[in-house]
Amino acid sequence: RRTGEALRAFHTAIRSSPGNTRNQAMKEQAQGTMLKVLTSFKSSEIEQAVNSLDRNGVDLLMKYIYKGFEKPTENSSAILLQWHEKALAVGGLGCIVRVLTARKTV
Amino acid sequence: MAYHSFLLEPISCHAWNKDRTQIALCPNNHEVHIYRKDGAKWSKVHELKEHNGQVTGIDWAPESNRLVTCGTDRNAYVWTLKGNVWKPTLVILRINRAARCVKWSPKENKFAVGSGSRLISICYFEQENDWWVCKHIKKPIRSTVLSLDWHPNNVLLAAGSCDFKCRIFSAYIKEVEERPSPTPWGSKMPFGELMFESSSSCGWVHSICFSASGSRVAWVSHDSTLCLADAGKKMAVASLCTETLPLLAVTFITENSLVAAGHDCCPMLFTYDESQGALTFGGKLDVPKQSSQRGLTARERFQNLDKKASSDTANATLDTLHKNSISQISVLKGGKDKCSQFCTTGMDGGMSIWDVKSLESALKDLKIK
Repeated sequence: RRTGEALRAFHTAIRSSPGNTRNQAMKEQAQGTMLKVLTSFKSSEIEQAVNSLDRNGVDLLMKYIYKGFEKPTENSSAILLQWHEKALAVGGLGCIVRVLTARKTV
Repeated sequence: MAYHSFLLEPISCHAWNKDRTQIALCPNNHEVHIYRKDGAKWSKVHELKEHNGQVTGIDWAPESNRLVTCGTDRNAYVWTLKGNVWKPTLVILRINRAARCVKWSPKENKFAVGSGSRLISICYFEQENDWWVCKHIKKPIRSTVLSLDWHPNNVLLAAGSCDFKCRIFSAYIKEVEERPSPTPWGSKMPFGELMFESSSSCGWVHSICFSASGSRVAWVSHDSTLCLADAGKKMAVASLCTETLPLLAVTFITENSLVAAGHDCCPMLFTYDESQGALTFGGKLDVPKQSSQRGLTARERFQNLDKKASSDTANATLDTLHKNSISQISVLKGGKDKCSQFCTTGMDGGMSIWDVKSLESALKDLKIK
């Protein structure tokens, strides 16, 4: 049941990501929420979560992963690296390229 | 698949003559070298030295057998073969930045040059003064024009730019041609008219290509995307976010199939489904050789662990034919509607010829529509 909750929170965070805003406060809040959701996953559940996303979702997830790398907290990098590995397997290098070229950041 | 290594340096650009017996290429310097096929070998037959900067674009007009070259020296030259010597004619482009790409129009009475001056020079021959003149297409281009392709009607021109957009302009020159009839891209085509502009992608548009009929245009951008605009569907744009590194070159091989290649060093097939308005990845076209897997000694394993933090046996060399990025693709046989053979050149100084039928039989799941 806990898995189901984490997955639901994950999809909600992805869906409600502020798309086209310059509002820095809004962005930071979304980043914080996403990081909380990502770190709440057990390692074994990550792959399933990534596979449940569509192409745009994987691109968005990768953007949040790199954002998370930018501001590391005590244990965040370790779990983010695991998310990165799974997201890379699905999105390929193109997904990372789009993080670098994106003009609208998360 | 025939691969020939011409140089140890990148091939900046290339162009083929009409019967595909000769290839003109720039060996990453200020010159153009022409090689002729001699059985299984290639012999260098001409060296064209006139540019003062790297040659960035070459195009070989099949019917009139003229070459046009452009370079970072802000010049373009039209070359005509007189006897056994190629004679250059300077074309004043009136640009103050490097020229980046050049293409003859289908009727070979005009050519277009894209440059860092954020404009396109449309050049045509003025009979009375016996020299080439040019007109500029400027608005609304905001950055370097990296690639050009002509529509079969000799008037419309597609341009890919570093301002992240693909555009189609009219390059109608009343001095050399009749008014064009309406096309699915529009009916009024005065010079410089913008017929289509894509919404911004997030990457420089490296390469752009019209389909054989001209009713579709496809382009690849630096954000690892491939896009296609279909005039038959009110210019609706289909786009695909690829899993690959950015693609640098794209061409149609049928009305629905595209081959693109780039920093992953291997050509790939993409298919456009008109009914769904969607682009899909159709597979890599490079069939890797069966590399012999030999076991690692304990010492090698330890060295790997020390250097790469992993002891796996994966090869450090590329399995693909090209050992560096592919920067250009050209259609050799069959045209863009029934291509049976195409050519790639790249930064590894190599040129490869790909046979579509062989690919279809070698790669079982390949579906070229």
